[in-house]
Parts: sequence; structure tokens; C-alpha cells
Amino acid sequence: MIDSLYIAWKYLSFNRARTATLVACVTLIAILPLALQLLLAESERQLLSRAESTPLLLGAPGSALDLVMNGLYFDDEVPQLISMMAVESLEASGLAMPIPLYVRFKARRFPIVGTTLDYFDFRALTIAEGRQLAQLGECVIGAEVAARLGITVGDSLLSSPETVFDLAGVYPLKMQVAGVLQRSHTPDDLAVFVDIKTAWVVQGLVHGHEDVTRPQDASVIIERTDANVVANARLVEYTEITTENIDSFHFHGAPGDYPLSAVIAVPDDAKAGTILRGRYLDGDAGYQLVVPETVIDGLLANIFRIKHMLDAVILVVGVATVLALILVFALSIRLRQREIHTVFRIGGSRLTIVRLLAAEIAIIVLFSGLLCMAAIVLVHQYSNELVRTLFIG
Amino acid sequence: MRPRGIIRIVTTALLFAVSLAEAGERLSVYTVNYPLQYFAQRIAGEQAEVTLPVPPAIDPAFWQPDVATIANFQQADIILLNGAGYAKWVNRVSLPRRKLVDTSAGFRDRYIHTEGDITHSHGREGDHSHAGTAFTTWLDFTLAVEQARAVAGALSRQRPDSKDIFERNLTALEQDLLDLDRQVQEIVVTNPGKLLLASHPVYQYFRRRYGLNLQSVMWEPEAMPDVAQWSALARLLMEHPAGWMVWEGKPAPESVARLRSMGIGSLVFDPCGNRPGAGDFLSVMQKNIANLRRAYTN
Repeated sequence: MIDSLYIAWKYLSFNRARTATLVACVTLIAILPLALQLLLAESERQLLSRAESTPLLLGAPGSALDLVMNGLYFDDEVPQLISMMAVESLEASGLAMPIPLYVRFKARRFPIVGTTLDYFDFRALTIAEGRQLAQLGECVIGAEVAARLGITVGDSLLSSPETVFDLAGVYPLKMQVAGVLQRSHTPDDLAVFVDIKTAWVVQGLVHGHEDVTRPQDASVIIERTDANVVANARLVEYTEITTENIDSFHFHGAPGDYPLSAVIAVPDDAKAGTILRGRYLDGDAGYQLVVPETVIDGLLANIFRIKHMLDAVILVVGVATVLALILVFALSIRLRQREIHTVFRIGGSRLTIVRLLAAEIAIIVLFSGLLCMAAIVLVHQYSNELVRTLFIG
Repeated sequence: MRPRGIIRIVTTALLFAVSLAEAGERLSVYTVNYPLQYFAQRIAGEQAEVTLPVPPAIDPAFWQPDVATIANFQQADIILLNGAGYAKWVNRVSLPRRKLVDTSAGFRDRYIHTEGDITHSHGREGDHSHAGTAFTTWLDFTLAVEQARAVAGALSRQRPDSKDIFERNLTALEQDLLDLDRQVQEIVVTNPGKLLLASHPVYQYFRRRYGLNLQSVMWEPEAMPDVAQWSALARLLMEHPAGWMVWEGKPAPESVARLRSMGIGSLVFDPCGNRPGAGDFLSVMQKNIANLRRAYTN
């Protein structure tokens, strides 16, 4: 047997290109369904565990999937906005704890998540380095944000303009990094968390500027009457919140009018959750209250429908490839007639020929198996990140 | 060692452990002003440790906590807010929303909105002003009762087993506050049209509840008013010839003397926003009422 393997090995080594092609074909055929299965299982785990741990999500009527993807996975697609009134009405119901979310802006490609400290307790997120949010203008970053941007506690992060063409838009806010979160292997690792009020500062709804009644540069005042002062755009608006200027930051209008993208509702118990769902069922209140698990189940059902289709395609391609491989071997036997004849002439039996060919196939399958195993280990190792990059975003 | 000795040691250790556990179970309540601290202490008794981290002699309404103090607020079980725009620092820090209790939220529709701020506009925003809301709500003792009820409600939600104790203590506090309310009404009814001045605009709710004919200036008790302030007072007196000035703190003797020379007496009605040097909320209010009575009887 050893001599057959030796001769087969020598033959395969001599025909490197052909061997590499055969190994690649077998490896790909084996790896595709396995890797797909692994990634789908991981995406299901990630999507479902996040959805299962979020009992209810309140948002504007519209696409429930957009609402869930933005509220749970901080997806780029911002659903229609609601206001803080939604939080107040949930609070007033006494049935659930509301956690506001405002996921709209970005800082160096990472989503800025405006929320309250309740979010960190709800998701059991702990601080690995630094401290929790304390003052307006601070942020706490996910472990992956810290790693990819190479920033840490004490550094700062600029909010990005919503569009590059928004020349008359608000100034970017320079946020101080107060803490870095412990890695949680969830989308929270890839987020920049700020207090909900800081998110409104990023939008320009809460702002700080020099006293218009006593400006340093009098030319910023266009018009002044006893009751009104009109300043031009040169009025100094603060782009960083410091202990010196924090007192100048102020809100305008009713707090209930401030925007949100969603509200996580954590019912006191199952009964409270059911009552709450009943209240928002007709949509008259201008909101939709969704169960993220149901929405994600629907999404997964679609994904698995696609997966079944992919399985069928892979099966057909696999069969075709196997047939092609058989053809390659059959043709190679024909091409190697003289070589086989020589084996006969030096006293080799038919069985010896079969053993030689079997040894060649075994070596190819073995190499493919090893490569396949290495690739699967690699996919498994990075499945978390791969799923977030490929499927969740 | 004898068995009896061992039993005694074990029993003592168990009792010690139980008392330690009970001590550890005390609720941690943080407040933004003294009236709320007083209400919470009266209602919770030994069930809670109530903290007002504002240093003495600083007005809690305009205080700004440092990061360490904010962290202490974040760790509390309950954070009692006055609402009505009191303690603006609350809007500039991160606090867990589920722990916040706005004690005046129940009478938001009865807030008094202050006017007179200059409106301004800049950038693409329209006209806006920084006008605010009067916040010394507790000087209307009926509103103070509502705030005390909100405190009791928050304590009961956090510690349902002790609800009866909280309710009992609340009833006693309500009686004390309503007694203050009755006393002020009895004083004011003797001369409903009596003209008064206030050194600072902090008596809006007090004025509304008890129907006082009171106009405010913007003086600080410890500082002698400047020429412009005296002129403004003279103009105000033309329309509102009051005989008494109500001060929020002990006034400077020179101010008292000059007012006396103008025929205006001085009395202190301390809003008691921070811990008093002596006594408690009730004793300070009793003293305030005694001072007010002096104005109405003279």
C-alpha cells in the first residue's frame, strides 16, 4: 500500500496544476454548504438572542423590520422618528420601563446611540475601562470601536455630518470618551453610546452659545430691540462641551417634542406586556409596538427559504462537479494508457492499477478534507464578525 | 467549650448578621434640595438613607455636581427631583431615568411660567427665549403635600412591604404641612390687600396660593443694592407702596436701615432650599410664618 501511495504522491506532485485544480474543486464543493450552515446558524443565534432579550419595541408606523434592525442592530436605515412623548406615555401607563433610543448619527462610520443609562443595565453592559457617562458631551464606546479606531478613555471623537452637502448644517460635536465597554459580542461592541441629550446636541436641538445680550463681538448682532436680539451665523456656538461652557447649553421647546428613533419597552410582567400590546394594536396612537422576536422570526424564515434554494443550487453544482471529476479521472486514465501499459509490462496487476488510482483519489480527498477543516475552523472563529459584516451590517 | 456557650456565640453571630443585612437593605435616596430630603426622611424613617449632596450655604437650584457626585446619584435607588426646571444641572448630566422621580409632575399644569427674558435668533433656528418656570413649588404648602405624596409613592414602589409605614408617616407630614398652610391663610385673611415687596422672585407659588399682593425686585440679601437698584425700587414704590420687604435670607444691616428710613420694614421668609443651620424644614417655616405675622399685625 505504501508503495502505491508513494507512486501516487509522486504522480500528483509532478502534475501540480492538475492536482491543485482537483483539490480546489473538492474543497469548494465540501466547504460551501458547511460554511453557509455555520454562518446561518450564527446569524440566527445573534439575531434571535438580541431579539429575544428585547421584549417590545415602540416606534413609528411603517416597516417593522427597519424599526427592529435600527433599534436592535443599529442599522443605517433610520425609521420614521417619534418623539419623547412616546416615552412619557409609556411611563404614565405604569406597565413598562421605557428606554429611549435615538440611532441616527455616526462618528467615523460607527453609529451614535443616544439613550439613557437604563440601556446599559438592561443589556448588562459593563465598563471595561474608564467610567460611565456622567455629563453632556461624553461618550462611552464599544470594545470594537476602541480597537478599530485605536482610541481610549480621554480621547475625543467627532460626530460626522449627516450628508457631505449639508454645508449649512450643525457643527460636528467633539465628544469626550469617558469609558470603553466590556466586549459583549453584540452590535453594542460597534456603537458609540451617548446620553440621549447629547444626541440632541449632535443634531443641534440642544445647543450652547455665547450670551447674545453680551457678545464678545458686537458685529454678530444684526438687530436688537428691548424684547428680541437677532444674531448672525457668526455667533459662537460651542462644538465641544466643557466645564466652562456646559451651563450655556440649553433646550428649546417642550421636552416631549424631542425626537427618537425607537423606545425599548420592558414590561413589568407578561400581563403588563399583553395589556400594552393591546393598547397599541390599533395604531391610533401613531405608534407601532412590535415584538422583535416575531419580526426576526419572519426575517429568518425568509433567510431559510433562501438557504433552501441555495442548498438546492449547491447540490446541483456539487453533482455536476462530481461528474466532472469522474470525467477528469476517466479522461486521465485514457491519457495515461501508455503509462498503465508500462505498469502491466513490468508485472503490475489490474489491482495494482486500481490501487494506484485509489491512492491518488485518497490523497486528493485528504488534502481537500484538511483544507476544508482549516477553512471551517477559520469561519467558526470569525463567524461572529463575519455575520455582523455580511448579514447584520 | 460548653454547648450553651457555643449556642450563645452562634445566636449572637446570627443576630449580628441579620442586623447587618437589615442595615444593608436601607434604600439609598438622593435629592436635589432640602425640602425633598426632609419629606423623604420623614416618610421613610429608618427605611432609607436620604442624601442631599449640596454643600451648606449653596443654593441647590444653581449648584453643579462634580463627576464623583454624579456617580453617587447614579448609584442611588431613588433620585428625587423637584421638577419645574429646578436644578438645571439635571438636564446636563446622565442619570438613570427609571430612578428619577419628578415630584411635581402631578401638577405640571399648575406651574408658573416666568416671562421677561429676551428672545433671540441665530443660524437657521427661529426666535426663541430662555424663559423659565418658577420652581419654589414647596412654598405653596398644598403643592408640598403633593410632592410628599410623590415621594411616598416612589418609596412604596421600591419597597412595597413597607408601604403601611410610609403611608402612616406621610399622613403625619401632610398634617404638618396643611397646618402651615392654614396658619398662612389665617394671617393673610386679616389683611388680604396688604402690599409686600420681595427681595427676589422666588415666592411665585407662595403668592398665588395665599393671594399675596407682592412685587419682586432682584436683590441679594447679603449685598447692599446699588444706585440703579434703589432707583428701580423707588419707581416700583410709586405703583406699589408696600410697607414690608420679604427677604429670602438675612439681609445686610445697611439695606435694612435704609429701607427702614423709607418706612419699609424687613422680614425673612427663608424658602429653605438647602439645609438650615439650625432646626429643620418645619421649624424654619414656623419661624417664617411668625415673621410674616409680624408684618400683618404691624
